[in-house]
Amino acid sequence: MAAAATTTTTTAGTTTSTCRVAKPYSSLAAFSPSQLPFKFNKVTSRSNNSIRCTLTRNPFSVTEMDGKTEFDPALWQRPDSLGRFGKFGGKYVPETLMYALSELETAFYKLADDREFQEELFGILKDYVGRESPLYFAERLTEHYKRPNGEGPLIYLKREDLNHTGAHKINNAIAQALLAKRLGKQRIIAETGAGQHGVATATVCARFGLQCIIYMGAQDMERQSLNVFRMRLLGAEVRAVHSGTATLKDATSEAIRDWVTNVETTHYILGSVAGPHPYPMMVREFHAVIGKETRKQALEKWGGKPDVLVACVGGGSNAMGLFHEFVNDKDVRLIGVEAAGHGLDSGKHAATLTKGEVGVLHGAMSYLLQDDDGQIVEPHSISAGLDYPGVGPEHSFLKDEGRAEYYSVTDDEALEAFKKLSRLEGIIPALETSHALAYLEELCPTLPNGTKVVLNCSGRGDKDVQTAIKYLQV
Amino acid sequence: MDMSCNYIQTFFPNHLLKVCPLLPTKKVVCGLVTREKAATTTDSSICSKTSSIMRKPLTKSLVEIETDHKLNKVVNPGKFGKFGGKFVPETLVACLNQLEVEFNFLLQDSEFQEELSTALRDYVGRETPLYFAKRLTDYYKNDNGEGPEIYLKREDLNHVGAHKINNAIAQAMIAKRMGRKSVVAATGAGQHGVATAAACAKLDLECTIYMGTTDMEKQSSNVLLMKLLGAEVKPVEGSFKDASSEAIRGWVGNLESSYYLLGTVVGPHPCPSMVREFQSVIGKETRRQAMEKWGGKPGVLVACVGSGSNALGLFHEFMEDEEVRLIGVEGGGFGLDSGSHSATLARGEVGVYHGAMSYLLQDEEGQILGTHSIGVGLEYPGVGPEVSFLKETRRAEFYTATDQEAIDAYHRLCRLEGIFPALEASHALAFLDKLCHTLPNGTKVVVNCSGRGDKDAATVFQYKQHLMQQ
Repeated sequence: MAAAATTTTTTAGTTTSTCRVAKPYSSLAAFSPSQLPFKFNKVTSRSNNSIRCTLTRNPFSVTEMDGKTEFDPALWQRPDSLGRFGKFGGKYVPETLMYALSELETAFYKLADDREFQEELFGILKDYVGRESPLYFAERLTEHYKRPNGEGPLIYLKREDLNHTGAHKINNAIAQALLAKRLGKQRIIAETGAGQHGVATATVCARFGLQCIIYMGAQDMERQSLNVFRMRLLGAEVRAVHSGTATLKDATSEAIRDWVTNVETTHYILGSVAGPHPYPMMVREFHAVIGKETRKQALEKWGGKPDVLVACVGGGSNAMGLFHEFVNDKDVRLIGVEAAGHGLDSGKHAATLTKGEVGVLHGAMSYLLQDDDGQIVEPHSISAGLDYPGVGPEHSFLKDEGRAEYYSVTDDEALEAFKKLSRLEGIIPALETSHALAYLEELCPTLPNGTKVVLNCSGRGDKDVQTAIKYLQV
Repeated sequence: MDMSCNYIQTFFPNHLLKVCPLLPTKKVVCGLVTREKAATTTDSSICSKTSSIMRKPLTKSLVEIETDHKLNKVVNPGKFGKFGGKFVPETLVACLNQLEVEFNFLLQDSEFQEELSTALRDYVGRETPLYFAKRLTDYYKNDNGEGPEIYLKREDLNHVGAHKINNAIAQAMIAKRMGRKSVVAATGAGQHGVATAAACAKLDLECTIYMGTTDMEKQSSNVLLMKLLGAEVKPVEGSFKDASSEAIRGWVGNLESSYYLLGTVVGPHPCPSMVREFQSVIGKETRRQAMEKWGGKPGVLVACVGSGSNALGLFHEFMEDEEVRLIGVEGGGFGLDSGSHSATLARGEVGVYHGAMSYLLQDEEGQILGTHSIGVGLEYPGVGPEVSFLKETRRAEFYTATDQEAIDAYHRLCRLEGIFPALEASHALAFLDKLCHTLPNGTKVVVNCSGRGDKDAATVFQYKQHLMQQ
């Protein structure tokens, strides 16, 4: 055996050894993997008669060697039994919450098979929430993005803006409220930033007759007094949080504190695919109806699958809801769009996956915006729903695996897109959604003629009218 | 004579028109045919020939024909008993006739119907659910646990949040078919304005909305929405009635390239029928959904009545079903005796307004009275002629709910079902207080939740502040 040059690199949690074997082993068949002490992951053959291979202990941490990494998403465990997506996710919580989280996980798996529960949930999604939401062909928007030779992609909008309460949030809130009822919990808590998730939670609590307490940063309460009033009209108690910067992340911490104290009577309706396991998986499953419907509707409309899926990413729930169904379909491109605020170099943005580093926040390991001391950096976006310094662990995983691509757009670009959809289709999108729409500017010129793009129109923009008018001077 | 035949051949679509030249009076008597019925008013002895006509697209110029009075009755009389009609200046008659012809044609045109159906499904979000309001039902149960079952027809889930869009999108499509480049409309509360602006944006039509300044103040969020959607909002001193008049004035000056999009079941024929036809999807869906859910028909239908579009949209399908009770609820304002209300059917008298004969709130000199309701969309001083007809024939019953009762109903639905009803729809919900205990156990009540009330949160907030200050 010729001398093999070995280099070893270590990244968090894994040890990767790279072996370069020179000729005469040009044939892979002669190489017997079972003789090796490590799990043999992947072999690439280079054209210059040498074999390069990656040996890893952790089968999910194949790092890119050259160019595109070949992978099979169908083999991934999303999540594994400990709630991890690769190295992300997990359950970084105080001991007092471990039991509640396990109980929740057990209940969730049981109800997934419970026909009565599924039927009840389906009925409520249909009659109360107004599902299924249409897959709408945006003719004028498509026309707008056509190139001078008349070619361009076909743009479809998944109309989550038509749901009751005006956003995708309710899919998860309603399912969790139903689950809480099954668990015999009478008290519901939630955190909220701008108020959308708070209103959705208060709504479902009113519907099911559950006691509802919403934690909201005192600063946010001032900026969103109408949403506070709405939550109170729905019968919820809104508690102001004054600690820290008095915004969403502090409200979340306070809500978690409440849950630790009252875990036996209380269920915590987390609004996004963040937090400790089983929340990221659960919230994703409850939103997965978006992707399931899309598959069916795409088949009806054009007899195939979408080619590209685009969604905005704050915590990541609407994006996971659309993507999840198609993660195993490698020919479907997944694109998430974050908020670049005043620009990625301004320091005032919420582009977690672009500028963040790995750490633990709110019970899960994921990318997050942190300074050198590991303190959370206050994010900024014109849209409150994207104004979260973390991101769901599954998104962090999909990014690292290269399965999904993540970009960002600025406040100004989002506002332009807001105006554009209003004028071209008569649909006023939420400012969050406008970020996804803004990315079409960069995306469409690169797509072949007739590519089917499905964009998640995750919410309506009535709530953003005052903000938009101020900036757009309409 | 041949020339006049050719003239008509150019402008009327095939299979719709059988032309019989009538020599003595140099007038053409024609029958408009729909698939279900043949035109038969013409005397066969003088009909020497009928010609089949090739369809050519309708041109922009106005078709001026004399319409025989008998013709009106056969096809679409425009009269509901003594109510309705076409009380308009001569300049508008021909235009309305053209509209009627186009409308009747499109009712049968499968291409148009499919396009509309797709728009209603993918753009508007139909069909809207028929939602069993369990907690509201339980609230109205008596001590024995008996009471009616209350279902809400969720028009609040439509795109832009009210039933108005059903009509706006259909008429905007008609405008496009007719080759019009711009649309003109008047709006009271703003819902019709927003729906029209949205439909025009989608169909690439210019849009001008006239709105009364008092309304613009009360519904400023809707004004912003219209502007964002690309519409031009023209303020008119006063309220909806002034905005309407100004809009019509604006339109008349530009009849050939502009389309007047009426938001409700008022106005001269064919407008009330047209708008009702487009809103009747509400009732059609309800019939089917009721059959699926409980294998029968609704026992009682309840809807708020401003000018009557959402009510007729729900009721129309069931008008022949005598066992289905139809109940309309008007804006009682500060109370019927306060003088500050919008209860046209309760306190109005018959007169002609905006081109049709109907009930309206007028003083002794026939001047239109100012109206008030906390549900701004109910503040129309008149009411649709077909609604007046339903009252006259006693097919439907009409009551009122005061501002306070509507606000209470608003609160109640929020708390019990997590749904914000529009303040207009809250009037219908308020009437449940008086209705439910009179109904036998298990009666199926369908309330038209005609719009969502996000727009009204500020109003309700101010009302509460105002009450607290007193």
